[in-house]
Amino acid sequence: MGVNDKLPVHAEQSPGGGIITTELNKIFTLTQAKSLWYLLFGTACCAIELMATGASRYDFDRLGMIFRASPRQSDLMIVAGTITYKMAPVVKRLYDQMAEPRYVLAMGGCAIGGGPFHYDSYSVLQGVDKIIPVDVFVPGCPPRPEALLQGCLEVGKKLRTQKIDDWRVR
Amino acid sequence: MTKEELISYIQENFSGKVELIENDMPEPYFLIEPKAIVAFSRFIHDDNKLIMHFLMNLSGVDTKENMEVVYNVCSYRLKHRLFFKTVLPHEKAEVDTVKEIWAVADWHEREAWELFGINFNGHPNLTRFLLPDDWDQGHPLRKDWVGRDVIPFPEGK
Ligand code: SF4
Repeated sequence: MGVNDKLPVHAEQSPGGGIITTELNKIFTLTQAKSLWYLLFGTACCAIELMATGASRYDFDRLGMIFRASPRQSDLMIVAGTITYKMAPVVKRLYDQMAEPRYVLAMGGCAIGGGPFHYDSYSVLQGVDKIIPVDVFVPGCPPRPEALLQGCLEVGKKLRTQKIDDWRVR
Repeated sequence: MTKEELISYIQENFSGKVELIENDMPEPYFLIEPKAIVAFSRFIHDDNKLIMHFLMNLSGVDTKENMEVVYNVCSYRLKHRLFFKTVLPHEKAEVDTVKEIWAVADWHEREAWELFGINFNGHPNLTRFLLPDDWDQGHPLRKDWVGRDVIPFPEGK
């Protein structure tokens, strides 16, 4: 039955599978969770691990995750790397340019709370959650690709609990 | 030229103003008076036996007692390298710019000025470079610098 099996349980399946009746909310979040496009954006060593996750061995694509080089087309921002005070306004602007619904995954110690640059640092922002809301934190220095993949699945899980009505409309 | 040849050649041609710093590195290391920096740079850049056309690095150093500026130069053509430094007082860290000799010194000197507060006389554009544009907390790599948002490393760890 293909797609019919994967739909939320309360989808009404017509005989033969030609027509289904379901909730718009469910079908929308389901499809979105299966095509999380992320912003191609990395600021330090964690970005190397992000690239490794995107490459063939770990293969982000099989989760429907494709990088987009424009914030206008992305659903997810993976903050991969150290954010300096000089870079912070740029990150904020990229986040502002993304369309709703948008999600943020903070990857690595630096993006979570300064990481190795937490103490005695004059230039590093102590956690990206100081400037933009973060949905999922993936700790590590850098996190392994498996951890990042799991983080993205968590974003998908969170996404599926949300209502379309909750999305902010500007 | 080998290290020994470089040392004797420079000491012959620039006597009195250079002082050799003994080291185990494969390159000679000289201490130069601040006033002689431009003349010395001009000499090693133009001299036919040295041809130091490439300034690999120029960096500031804070040793608590003094400020230092360290220059690393090399010659692609003759395949030899040379390090030299100058020592400046903390209160009045000033040295002439070598931007006219090696154009790359422009950015290196801006960086040393921004992070250490070393003034390069004659530099046309000593402005904000690496720090945020609205930075107002002085020169952060100085040893006596105290920052507003800096979280100090916990004692005894
Ligand atoms: S968390 Fe570690 S690996 Fe990641 S950007 Fe920071 S220092 Fe680099």
